[in-house]
Amino acid sequence: MKYFVWHVVRRAFLNIKGNLYPNLSTVGIIAISMLVFSSFTLIAINLSSFLKLWEEKIEIMAYLKRETPIQEVETLLNKIRLLEGVESVRYISPFDALAFMESKLGGQKDLLKGIQAWILPPSFEIELKKEYRNSTGIKGVVSQLKKFPQFEEIQFGQEWVDTFSALVHLLNLTQWILGGLLLLAMIFIISNTLQLTISARREEIEIMRIVGARPSFIHIPIYIEGLLQGLFGAGLAVLFLYLLQEIMLLHLPSPIQVWTAKVPIHFLPPEVILQILLGGMCLGLFGSFIASMKFLRFGE
Amino acid sequence: MIQLSHVYKVYPTQIEALSDVSLEISDGEFTYIYGASSSGRTTLIRILYGAEKPTRGEVVVNGMNITAKGFNKIHLLRRSMGIVFQDFKLLKDRTVSENISFALEVTAYQKQEIRKKVSEVLEKVGLQQRERDPILALSAGEQQRVAIARALINDPPLLLADEPTENLDDQMTDDVMKIFSDLNQKGTTIVFATHNKELIQRYPHRVIYLSGGRRVDVKIDEVRAGE
Repeated sequence: MKYFVWHVVRRAFLNIKGNLYPNLSTVGIIAISMLVFSSFTLIAINLSSFLKLWEEKIEIMAYLKRETPIQEVETLLNKIRLLEGVESVRYISPFDALAFMESKLGGQKDLLKGIQAWILPPSFEIELKKEYRNSTGIKGVVSQLKKFPQFEEIQFGQEWVDTFSALVHLLNLTQWILGGLLLLAMIFIISNTLQLTISARREEIEIMRIVGARPSFIHIPIYIEGLLQGLFGAGLAVLFLYLLQEIMLLHLPSPIQVWTAKVPIHFLPPEVILQILLGGMCLGLFGSFIASMKFLRFGE
Repeated sequence: MIQLSHVYKVYPTQIEALSDVSLEISDGEFTYIYGASSSGRTTLIRILYGAEKPTRGEVVVNGMNITAKGFNKIHLLRRSMGIVFQDFKLLKDRTVSENISFALEVTAYQKQEIRKKVSEVLEKVGLQQRERDPILALSAGEQQRVAIARALINDPPLLLADEPTENLDDQMTDDVMKIFSDLNQKGTTIVFATHNKELIQRYPHRVIYLSGGRRVDVKIDEVRAGE
């Protein structure tokens, strides 16, 4: 058994060495295809984490009607605190709102000159419990808030979250459709290259058959070859992607750099890298299997 | 040792290569399969080493019924025999010993054993001095002797030869035929496909005559040249 494993692995490496150019081209093509696929994965992962970050910051702004007597505010605050899904509530007076706007505008706060605080409506800033910071959770809390006649308007960033979610979903979908097409292309390329290398070794394979080599002695090195092509291709793709990301992050324009400082950009997590490598290996194996089915029939 | 009962072989192109061929070759026999082109002799040899499946009939070689349903031990069948071809089927980019040891490497022999067996078999075919020479440095006759050495590496009880002397001159043919005769005298069964009537007359042994895919019961002297 030990000898068998040693032999088939050795044969696989000898085969690769003997047909270096076609093998390198296959690895290159797999690397490019996997790079496209993993780029989409990387973008989707970062957008998803950004979405999660955004969702965590989601809060509801409930604007009070101007005629709401100030005495009602405390009662209303207490009632809202008791609502399902509400973590905390803060009353923001028109003066607080103006101060907030001024702080946001910083050096340009002069723009607010002449604006009276009373034109701004008083509001409640409602923070949600963690498990309610999602589409269904927010909608549930909002529907409860709408029952209070004191509120003029209720605002929340859900529309943005929904649009962003749809975008991430679309990206995921594109990733898998494109991934599917690339997958077919990769299987086709791998099986064709291996058919070429098998064809180049036809004489040797024929002799192996004549002298009574076990079919597994002939087939398994070819499977290993495909497996290695897939592994090297996928490995190169991950490496290129990492380098690309590093280079891009170094050369980002400064306004985006400020933004990325707030929203961290991640590389592929180890489990995704492992999945990509395994995916590459499976593709290679499948491609080699097709090639061997076409060229090497058992019992010939 | 070899038994064929009512064997037919029809190729997908509807060419009938063998038709109702039955024969028996006993252990230790030297048998020629004689016939002109398209007589079916190569098909018969290919059936014997499992490269072709008969369309109909039963074939038993070295105790294995290779036509039995689900038979999947072709590699074991081939290890129980040696096969020699007209075109030698050697790896041209390797040396004499590499060509022979290749047969053992792919059948999972250990390195030390391979070395020992290679030198023994090279002695049998008289090529011990050429062990390290590249195949292309050898004459056609020597190349065929390497092919025979490779076929003998497992000490098979049966040797199949498909026109092994076809590309050789008379001297080389004599050398090769002497090896076959020696092997046969030591008990190896030889099945030798040829279309060369003179060769059969020079080295007389049992002859199975095929014509148009059928076995014909006729003495070799009665066969006209080219038939």
